[in-house]
Amino acid sequence: MIKIENVTKTYNKTVRALDNISFSVDGGEIVGFIGPNGSGKTTTMKILTGIIKPDSGKVIINGFNIKDDPIKAKQSIGYIADNPDIFLRLKGSEFLELIGDIYKVPTDVRRKRTEGLAEKFGLTEALGSPMISYSHGMRQKIMVIAALVHKPPVWILDEPMIGLDPKSAFELKQLMREHTKEGNAVFFSTHVLEVAEKLCDRVVIIKNGHILYNGTLDELEKQNKNESLENIFLELTEK
Amino acid sequence: MKLYLRLVSALIKGVEPNDKEKKRNKIFYVVMSVIAAFGIMLPMAFFVGVIIYTVTSALTQTGTQENGVEMFLHLIAAFSFIFGLNVFFSVFYFSGDIENLLPLPLRPYQIIASKFTAAMISESVMECIVIIAALTGYILGGNMPLYSWLISIIGTLTMPILPLIYCGIICMVVMYFTRFIRNKDTVNKITGVFTFLVIAGIVYLIAQSGFDSQKLINALSTPDNAILRVMNIIFPTVPLLVNSMETQGIFNILIYFGVNIVAAAVFMLVAQAIYFPGVAGIGQGMSHRSSSNTIQKMRQHSPCTSYLKKELRILFRTPAYFTNCVMINFLIPVFVCLAYVVHKQTNFLESFVYGIHSGNEETVLIFMLGISAVSVLVTALNCIASSGITREGKHFSFIKYIPLDYTAQLNVKAAVSIIISGSGMIISVIAACILLNTGFKFTVFCCLLSLISVTFATYLGIYMDSVNPKLIWEDELNALRGNYNIFFNMAIAIVTEAVICAGSYLLFKFTPAGSILIIIILFVALMLLTTISYLLCCRKATKNIGTL
Repeated sequence: MIKIENVTKTYNKTVRALDNISFSVDGGEIVGFIGPNGSGKTTTMKILTGIIKPDSGKVIINGFNIKDDPIKAKQSIGYIADNPDIFLRLKGSEFLELIGDIYKVPTDVRRKRTEGLAEKFGLTEALGSPMISYSHGMRQKIMVIAALVHKPPVWILDEPMIGLDPKSAFELKQLMREHTKEGNAVFFSTHVLEVAEKLCDRVVIIKNGHILYNGTLDELEKQNKNESLENIFLELTEK
Repeated sequence: MKLYLRLVSALIKGVEPNDKEKKRNKIFYVVMSVIAAFGIMLPMAFFVGVIIYTVTSALTQTGTQENGVEMFLHLIAAFSFIFGLNVFFSVFYFSGDIENLLPLPLRPYQIIASKFTAAMISESVMECIVIIAALTGYILGGNMPLYSWLISIIGTLTMPILPLIYCGIICMVVMYFTRFIRNKDTVNKITGVFTFLVIAGIVYLIAQSGFDSQKLINALSTPDNAILRVMNIIFPTVPLLVNSMETQGIFNILIYFGVNIVAAAVFMLVAQAIYFPGVAGIGQGMSHRSSSNTIQKMRQHSPCTSYLKKELRILFRTPAYFTNCVMINFLIPVFVCLAYVVHKQTNFLESFVYGIHSGNEETVLIFMLGISAVSVLVTALNCIASSGITREGKHFSFIKYIPLDYTAQLNVKAAVSIIISGSGMIISVIAACILLNTGFKFTVFCCLLSLISVTFATYLGIYMDSVNPKLIWEDELNALRGNYNIFFNMAIAIVTEAVICAGSYLLFKFTPAGSILIIIILFVALMLLTTISYLLCCRKATKNIGTL
């Protein structure tokens, strides 16, 4: 459902953020994207969502090429950006209404989904307040609800657990599992290796714009016997 | 001192466009700077210089030559004070960097002094140009020696300090005493409304004077002018500087420096005493309202309607946008009515009304050109269009990842500007037409002309902003202030409109074409310009967004 082929991106003609990377995420899969700071995770996420254009290569989302068919490709994505401080003067409900309208979610469906998600994340009471009054965690929760309210087949989440309390993080992980059970795809970046270990069917490890590993964690651990995931990750990325 | 300079430099970098933004379009900046310099700054400086030169020359005969420049500098100081209030509320209490500065081991006066300096530098560029022009006019008019030039340079650089110190102290006192009000936005909005009421008052007073130059010269030639006496007490640095240039003595300039230093010391003492209590808890301005009902109120709208509502909500709810972008539009009708009330009995208005009623071609044409010019000027000045993309700031990526094409998004942003600027202008035009009793058809025609002019300026603004939007800013006011794109857009809009108006008038004056033909040509020219700016917006601006 997500396919990235031979993508290269260079900033200011000097900094090569991504160097000919390719990988895919199939329906029914949760794939974790891990790598040190500045390795190219956010650039990859932004290319997948159409925020920045790659210098070369191809991105296919749910069968649509993001370059040729951007609206249909974007319609298939639920995206959580790395910064939840967005449109803070709007009330939570107004922001969700905007997202619902942009993704053309019918009234009754959006009410039902918003109600369910808001309850799950403990945000029902705050929806009537401007988001400027929300804590960082609450803003992150509203971003999660906004990304899921149109029930997109592809979830692309940039550090989605940051700022979430344990209960909300648990709920989000549950939602990710349920979503993939329905044949959809989840691709998320994280720095927390335990989350990747427990949640992901597969991980993609990136460093300096190169894919270092793309496979299951079991395979990775088999290749590096008696080593913890933390040690394997450090060895891979500090080479 | 080192710490202070470092803080000032860091804060200025937060306001100015960063190097990346500058490099992105170097040629654009150069071309726009030339247009702004020759289209706005130099003509304005020349105009001010000539007025002060003329007034000074005229007053030399009565020995009161300093009164003209003093009055002008007081006026500049008053405007600097009024506009500064809004800026300092935002800079001292609502900017994003406060959360980073407060936890640092800095004393309140250190934070305030550096923020004050950074804001003053970025706010005073235009003011300094006007001051140097006025002082040059004064020196030339009074035929003064080299020493006066030296003092004028010192004065140009230091004159903005005192009015801005007043602003700073008032902001801190207001925020200290309103620190128990939970919604700080309300305080911010009230000061914005107050600012504009004061401006309206000043405009009314100036308008009431009737712009009679002889009356003004007579008033200024009085050695003991009452207004000047009061203003000299409020802004004592003005007479000290002017006297220093006049007498060429060192004493006045030393007192001038002394007054500024004492004011700065008082300012920092106030900051040390009351800044932290006032700034504490700014972030938690609003409480949560329980409303389980909100979900049931959700309804489906078209993506563009919803996007439009979002834009309007942000403009109306953000104090910096509300006071700078929205309010100005609804003050224009007030100014129109005020101007009418003040000039009702004057020969000028009577002959103008007579000209309109009797169908005098020149009067009708001037009225039409005026409507078009004000419409373009107001749309450029309120910067709703020319900050449409800039206002997205750090969450600019939202434009790019939602499934709504860029053309639709830009058109919605344009619609917001047309709705707000157009409403203000149409109310003004209708008010003017009712007051002048012009008739229904003529009023409709004027409204159409105004709307076309607003639409042209709107699409031009959106395009200009797309070339190089200022996406990195600390608080909303910074998105507007120190934003070169807004200034450049204003320059282009003013120059274009000036060419159109001057061209139309010259055609009328020097060709046999009658006013009706000229108005048709004006309409066609504006339609053409609107089409060009619309196409620029739909083709080039969308491309620009794609590459950002």
